[in-house]
Amino acid sequence: MSTAVLEVKDVEKVYGSKGESQSHALKGVSLTIEKGEFVGIMGPSGSGKTTLLNVISTLDRPSSGFIQIAGTNITQMKQNQLADFRSQKLGFIFQDFNLLENLSVYENIALPLSLQGVASKEIRAKVDKVAQTLGISEILQKYPVQISGGQKQRAAAARALVHEPAILLADEPTGALDSKNAKSLLETMTDLNEKHQVSIMMVTHDAFSASYCKRILFIQDGSLYTEIHRTGDRQQFFKQILDVLAELGASHDVR
Amino acid sequence: MLLKLSLSSMRKMMKDYLVLLVGLVVSISIFYMFQTLAMNSDYVKANSMIRSIGIVFNVGAFLLAFITIFYIFYANSFLLALRRKELGMYMVLGAKKAKISQMLFGETLLMGIVSLLIGSLVGIALSSGIGQLLMSLLDISTEGYFPFYVPSLLMTWGFFLVLFLLTSTINAIRLARATELDLIRADQQNDQVKAKGIGTIVVAILGILLVTFGYYLLTHLRDYVAPGFIVGAVVTTIGTYLVFISLLPVFVQILKNNKKLNDRQLNAFTFAQLRFRVNNLTKILGTVAMLIALGVGAMAGGMAFQQNVELVASIGRGYDVTLQDPGHEDFQALATMQVLEQNEYRYKKDGKTIYYLKDDLLAHPPLISANTMESYSPENSLKRASQPLTEKAYIMYRDEDDKQQPKELPEEWSQAISREFMSSYKMERSHAVQVVDPSIYNQVKGSEHKVVLVKLDEFVKYKEQLKAMDARQKELLKPEYMDKDADNDEEFSLETKYSVYEQAYAFTSGTLFMGFFLGVAFLAMMASCLMFKILSGATRDKDRYSMLRKIGVRKEMLVGSIYKELFIVFIFPAVIGLLHVLIGMEMFSIILLEPYKNIWIPTSIFVVIYALYYLITVRLYRGIVLPKEA
Repeated sequence: MSTAVLEVKDVEKVYGSKGESQSHALKGVSLTIEKGEFVGIMGPSGSGKTTLLNVISTLDRPSSGFIQIAGTNITQMKQNQLADFRSQKLGFIFQDFNLLENLSVYENIALPLSLQGVASKEIRAKVDKVAQTLGISEILQKYPVQISGGQKQRAAAARALVHEPAILLADEPTGALDSKNAKSLLETMTDLNEKHQVSIMMVTHDAFSASYCKRILFIQDGSLYTEIHRTGDRQQFFKQILDVLAELGASHDVR
Repeated sequence: MLLKLSLSSMRKMMKDYLVLLVGLVVSISIFYMFQTLAMNSDYVKANSMIRSIGIVFNVGAFLLAFITIFYIFYANSFLLALRRKELGMYMVLGAKKAKISQMLFGETLLMGIVSLLIGSLVGIALSSGIGQLLMSLLDISTEGYFPFYVPSLLMTWGFFLVLFLLTSTINAIRLARATELDLIRADQQNDQVKAKGIGTIVVAILGILLVTFGYYLLTHLRDYVAPGFIVGAVVTTIGTYLVFISLLPVFVQILKNNKKLNDRQLNAFTFAQLRFRVNNLTKILGTVAMLIALGVGAMAGGMAFQQNVELVASIGRGYDVTLQDPGHEDFQALATMQVLEQNEYRYKKDGKTIYYLKDDLLAHPPLISANTMESYSPENSLKRASQPLTEKAYIMYRDEDDKQQPKELPEEWSQAISREFMSSYKMERSHAVQVVDPSIYNQVKGSEHKVVLVKLDEFVKYKEQLKAMDARQKELLKPEYMDKDADNDEEFSLETKYSVYEQAYAFTSGTLFMGFFLGVAFLAMMASCLMFKILSGATRDKDRYSMLRKIGVRKEMLVGSIYKELFIVFIFPAVIGLLHVLIGMEMFSIILLEPYKNIWIPTSIFVVIYALYYLITVRLYRGIVLPKEA
């Protein structure tokens, strides 16, 4: 049995109907993420990384190709199956936190479990545990407006993890954070990945954030451009990333 | 350019404007119809019966106008709230505030004029259709009634134009006071979660106490009369608002604090939305409850009056027909009816006195009723006059100082003669009444007459024949009993059961008619108020729903949450409003015999209209907040 948690094969995404001016956002992308990996997706604006995240997160359908998450083919699923799948197998962290500001932190985190019909007692135990892991036990009864940006993103991470998803999908998670909070969140994510074996896929355009990953895939104009693995320490990896980005920029200029 | 912008944005918000338009058109057309009924002067003069109803319609128009003012202000401020962001964007792009204010002013006014145009047309149609229906129902000739009546039209236009000008100005001023940033950030202001402390509970208890006290006063109007009504109405209204301000948020908080319930599926979210709503909608929910009470109350009141007509006409009576000297035609008509009892009594009449023959009375003692308008009980059944008449002569309304007069006629007999034997109060006023032995009777010089009392199986079955009988009786009695020096135009009216019935019927039909339309107008305005308020907050909720969808909430569950949330928002004012009506109807027991008769009819009309608005609101709200599926 394969240990791949995510398998993407020849995925294409075309916007606009036939005959009209079509734009190809993804032109046959294939990638695999193994269980327990921490993978970054990088690329310039308009390269297709958000589209890729959307089709993987089942929010958008690919025009063709095949996506399998945790052994389930999601490309043929119906809307409701997709919704259920999202709520059970996927965890999301968004740039703008996307917490419901009319619910307390506790209720926000508990939501995915409530949706699955988990008993109230069990919910409490699980929320307490994940809150402890993320260091937000003190603020569970507060509302999102009452806490800082860093705390909000931790709360969002807790919500993404509370139901133990197959993979955590992060979309520019540090985009709205200052450098101190960003660093702290990234360290937490590394921790989750290393100590708790959480599989993570993070989309970012920030080289510093990306340097926390184990492997980075670069996309440009809807296709995979290259991929690099982290072998040495983070500083070295950071430089490596900058080199690839420079290369990408150069190839961009040539065209 | 601004005109173009304005038109395009109006087109975009067509749905919202349509809701406002419908509310306004309903209000305007009904206002106009009331005006035509109250103001058509030739017509009012020609129908004495209408004169009293005219007042009813004026009161109705006034009430309607009063509520409409609030409605227009509410509705317009909601529409303004919906457009804040767009207007702010224009300003940021460099449009001058004065220009925008001008645009807004023009829009509001245009809206008003359009609704006035449509409203007048609908109003004319309504008056020619339903107005005529009312009149045929009342058996009133439509002569002199014009559905298209210029003074009424002027009145309607004048009143509403002033109203629209006022709201337009206020809208423009409100906009002028807001800064660009206020407008653009309109969406981003977070919903504050206010802490609810012990104070709320005190207010909640106070609210409940006030409502209870108000109910007590209104249900015991007999003891407290006018002050009781005023204090009761005011106290109930204040109490209602307090309940909505305090009790409802507390209730939702209790729901939310139930961990088990809160942790189930989307309940945490539904309750959170609800809490935000009940905190923000307290005043409007209170208003809605009061409007429901008024609307359904108007309908139920009108209907209750209508239902009680026959009871009113038959109160204190044992017989259905009183005929003085019936003729051939009368007997012919009687032959077609199912007669349960028919008695004949002879009497003689000279210039000053009417003498009834005692033997006839004793031979067929008439039925009398213990019920009066003041004290009515359905258990009081009819009985026969049975007090002994041993003297040779009795007189009604004996003059204590005149020792020459015979004894006072015993109460039961006196009641029977006054209520059943007399066709017109003029008969009783112009003559003294005696009950005498044959020995005296035969000596009396004067014309001999007879009166026939008839009891029928069912009064309302024979309205046609009874009407004709009454007309013949009028012809017969008018020359005899009409004051000689009276103005020739003065009406000669009968107090027979049919005449009382006819008058009460006309009056109550007017009340019912007005109550029904007032009720519909109130409900339409009230429900659209609630709808506006909910829809104006909808854009803010959009992000929440799209987020929930992202983390994998099924669409049905989101829809279910919306149904549940709005249902609770709608049901509270409905329950309290209906409770007001059910208890408030008790106060009509002063003038009505059975105020609760057929109360289910107005209640179901209300439920249907209200449910429709609920469903429409859910539909529109869904359209706004639920993300479009790929």
